[in-house]
Amino acid sequence: MTQSPAREEPVTTIKEEDATINEEDAEPVAELTPGAAFPDVQLPDHTGRERSLSEIAAGNPLALFTARGWWCPKEQRYLRELVELQNEFEVAYSQIVVITIDEPETQSAFRAGLGARFTFLSDAERRWIDRLGLLEDTDTTHRPYRPAGFTLRPDLTIHSAYNGYWYWGRATAEELRQDMRAITREVRGDWDLG
Amino acid sequence: MADATRELYWDGAQLTLDPDEGGRRLAIDARCVNGDPVAGCFAHVCALPGEDARIQFDQPEVQEARRAALAWWIPLLGDALVCLSTFSLDSVHFAGAVTVARHPRLFDHDPFARLFPGTVVPTGLFSLVSPPPGPLIERIAGAPWPGGRFPQVDPAVP
Repeated sequence: MTQSPAREEPVTTIKEEDATINEEDAEPVAELTPGAAFPDVQLPDHTGRERSLSEIAAGNPLALFTARGWWCPKEQRYLRELVELQNEFEVAYSQIVVITIDEPETQSAFRAGLGARFTFLSDAERRWIDRLGLLEDTDTTHRPYRPAGFTLRPDLTIHSAYNGYWYWGRATAEELRQDMRAITREVRGDWDLG
Repeated sequence: MADATRELYWDGAQLTLDPDEGGRRLAIDARCVNGDPVAGCFAHVCALPGEDARIQFDQPEVQEARRAALAWWIPLLGDALVCLSTFSLDSVHFAGAVTVARHPRLFDHDPFARLFPGTVVPTGLFSLVSPPPGPLIERIAGAPWPGGRFPQVDPAVP
């Protein structure tokens, strides 16, 4: 009788390529507060294609979330909230993006299991986590993103920022609707018809 | 929205950008044919040459095909995907879709083939385009999904 293999830890290996970020690029960005510009983060998506936030936004408002990873029960719950909300985003000319440290293959499986149709970006190589100041340093095993949410204008200016370290700090569906309404009112020239 | 759209022609066997070669006129996301063509690809054309083969874009089955494209069709194709566009006839009507890939092995799964039967066509006509990120499935000002972009407004300008 063979013994089952030990459960694989959801730990993403820190690769040597991390060191390829040059010093200028590795500078931390300014505080991610309303009115500031969110960096045009470029990372592989859940299919492995390199994507930038501006490309994904493509002129639309964007709700951006950082999440710990597939293993976290809080993320599993919150992302199901976003899956519910995607049914409104899909007709409202708005986008949803989630960044985690999971590998693209893991994200793709997690995304399929959730029934999500929005984009996951993989920072498995930790290219942006320090620069964004979003490392959850209380988890020294996974070194994941701290849960946070940002509603962004199409030019990636931050409209609202949410700290989701504690679950109740996360943006509710209603807060996201209100943010999307405010941004859309600002950026769509025909909001006030007539 | 004219810049977001290009027209191609489909006779049931061949795709062309040349109107003189004949075939049914179909509008696609312009990005699919405006870049450098990728040689040696295969197009899965889920459309018919007859003018009566049309459905309204807003019909639930057309919405569902777009959701399926975002949920699993694009991830399933992975690196093989070159580009994807729906076909529009006007601001209301959908006439099918084309998925272009580096090999035709997965075309049996094409969700748009539920709406119009698929035909595999070897092609060097199409360009590499990042697939739509999702979850947005709506068209923009009548452009064939996923093309088009709204004009930008500067909030600082009253």
